Amino acid sequence: MASRTEIEPGQTIPSVTKEITEKSILGFESTGILNLENIHNNPELAAKRLGTTYTLASGRMSITFATECLRKFFGPDVFNHTGTVNLKFLRPVKAGDTITVTGAVSGSEDTANGTRVSVDLFCDNQDGNRTAVGVGTAVIN
Amino acid sequence: MADTELKVFSYDKVVIGEELGSYEYILTQEMVDAFRASVDDPEASFPTLGVKHDATAFAMVYTDPIGTVNAGNEVEFFNPPVVGKKIIVTGRIADKYLRRDKPYIVIEATAIDENGRLLEKLSTYQLKKPDELGKKWHPEQK
Repeated sequence: MASRTEIEPGQTIPSVTKEITEKSILGFESTGILNLENIHNNPELAAKRLGTTYTLASGRMSITFATECLRKFFGPDVFNHTGTVNLKFLRPVKAGDTITVTGAVSGSEDTANGTRVSVDLFCDNQDGNRTAVGVGTAVIN
Repeated sequence: MADTELKVFSYDKVVIGEELGSYEYILTQEMVDAFRASVDDPEASFPTLGVKHDATAFAMVYTDPIGTVNAGNEVEFFNPPVVGKKIIVTGRIADKYLRRDKPYIVIEATAIDENGRLLEKLSTYQLKKPDELGKKWHPEQK
């Protein structure tokens, strides 16, 4: 687990690279409790609502990938209890894509519970196009 | 709540601060396994992300023939959920606004477990005009 003295501005966090498949998209959707059809699991619905010829991976998959990066950087004892992830989705992610999440420490501020460290986050596909951007944080002591 | 007749969503009628009620479910090992396999992370601690607490709260109140696209998520983690424990989720409409003439709503959901442990808070920024994004992604289909 990273400690306060080990974290410096500009320091990069562990990256992850994920292959997106129909199986992974549908597997993620299967975790839900309502079994609803949506633009992630029904291509006809995606075509009707978005005009796409494919279903989209849930943006929450990218949230989860970013969470993995931050958990590996801060350690689960820190990140699972103080962590945040904030992503804005810029482009669709679909089966066949490869998504790489990277990030770097962008700043820190003292709080009542410790030092809140901010990390800029970037999600890019195999073509180098940015699919999501945002910020993650965690509080270290 | 699940037995209640769904309302047809109307952006104009929805009110900021509207409560979406609460619902409960039990986190199973099967859910955890399916989630971890789907994101290729055997240590993923928040399979609740796959349950989509906020969207589920919305779907238990509203039917939405237009549909939506997730424009962004904000999540705060407090404690990982525990398999076998009941999870209680409370949802609300936190905001609605127009940006570049496109309608958005923000749905918030807070999850605690049966012991009162705060698990996570999740907000989703939903674009309630998904065909606009489709045109942006595929301009040849305009």
